Amino acid sequence: MCETCGCGKPDDFKIHDPHHNHHEHHEHSHEHEGPAHPYTHKHDAHEHYHEHEHDGHKHSHPHDHGHPHDHDHHGHHDNHGHHEKKEIPLNIDILSENNRLAERNRGYFEGKEVLCLNLVSSPGSGKTSILEKTIQALVSKRKIFVIEGDQQTARDADRIERSGAPAIQINTGNGCHLDANMIQQALKKLAVENHSILFIENVGNLVCPAMFDLGEKKRVVVISVTEGDDKPIKYPYMFQSSDLCIINKTDLLPYVDFSVETAKKYAQQLNPKLEFILMSAKTGEGMKEWYDWLEKQL
Amino acid sequence: MHELSLAADVINLVTEEARKNGLSVIQELLIEVGDLSGVEADAFQWALELLTKETILGKAEILLNRSPGTGICKSCEREFEMRNRLDSCPGCGSFPSEIRGGQEFRVISMVGE
Repeated sequence: MCETCGCGKPDDFKIHDPHHNHHEHHEHSHEHEGPAHPYTHKHDAHEHYHEHEHDGHKHSHPHDHGHPHDHDHHGHHDNHGHHEKKEIPLNIDILSENNRLAERNRGYFEGKEVLCLNLVSSPGSGKTSILEKTIQALVSKRKIFVIEGDQQTARDADRIERSGAPAIQINTGNGCHLDANMIQQALKKLAVENHSILFIENVGNLVCPAMFDLGEKKRVVVISVTEGDDKPIKYPYMFQSSDLCIINKTDLLPYVDFSVETAKKYAQQLNPKLEFILMSAKTGEGMKEWYDWLEKQL
Repeated sequence: MHELSLAADVINLVTEEARKNGLSVIQELLIEVGDLSGVEADAFQWALELLTKETILGKAEILLNRSPGTGICKSCEREFEMRNRLDSCPGCGSFPSEIRGGQEFRVISMVGE
């Protein structure tokens, strides 16, 4: 389960052991890191862990009780049933636990000089194929590790392993996105080496993964030319939260009504800093540009 | 996006905070749901009302404070309110070069006894 929002049932995500296809793994062999109540906050000075600025953040509190924050009444219960009505300021960021774990992951990667990338997209855009080709091309020069995320099966991790890189499969069950806790647990089984590249292939979903920082250095959104050039404006959050957009399956451009110019225009409107690579993992177009981009991030 | 599960998580954390503060019943709960947070506020409110029925929040008034973001127009640099991620500058129609705020999703406070 995503331990921030509870999608899926508790402890229901499964992390396969390496070389899973030689074993039956049905027990949930991962640990859940963190306190039973996953949030952090401080009661003073509205200090809390999140990345957003407060400028322009105007709102009014619709109630003003004028109740003193009177903690002297803490535990004051008498037999008359007179209970002091107390207003307790909480200021708890509901997603703070994921952000905290993501920063821990980020620190771990920085310490080991690992380039971590989070690949997001709809199902079927070609993420796994891009990774297979990338591994075949680069693995002699640079160690590559992959964390795969799908609701079910280890098929993608199998493909990655066959192409020559160690992979760990996370199955989310009913869950719709990977979160920082799942990544942290997977890293305990993957033994990522220093100076390597770690690709995280997220669950195919353009909605939910946008909200969940995994600790990556860069987020790469992949769309394919069969998906419609208005994709970016239909899923703005995902494009606003990504660093690179790969437009894949360009070999199919003659057969579909997809304007690369339109797709880029929509995406750039949402995120002026977004970089683009046109690619066909099948024919090899754009792969060199992709490898150069990877080298630049290292 | 899984608002039911988010609501369950909020109930857990508020119940724990109530316990820590010696409250046995919550009368009001104030939550901020930023317009750009990715959380669907109506669905989240509905989910909270549904799930709080048998809890210490069962009679609580749940108030959702929605907060917009602020866009900085990339053409005229005007600051404008953004209630969704596709909002553009009301002056010149351009998109923002930067978005600030509007992404909060937090429990602000509770009132109880």
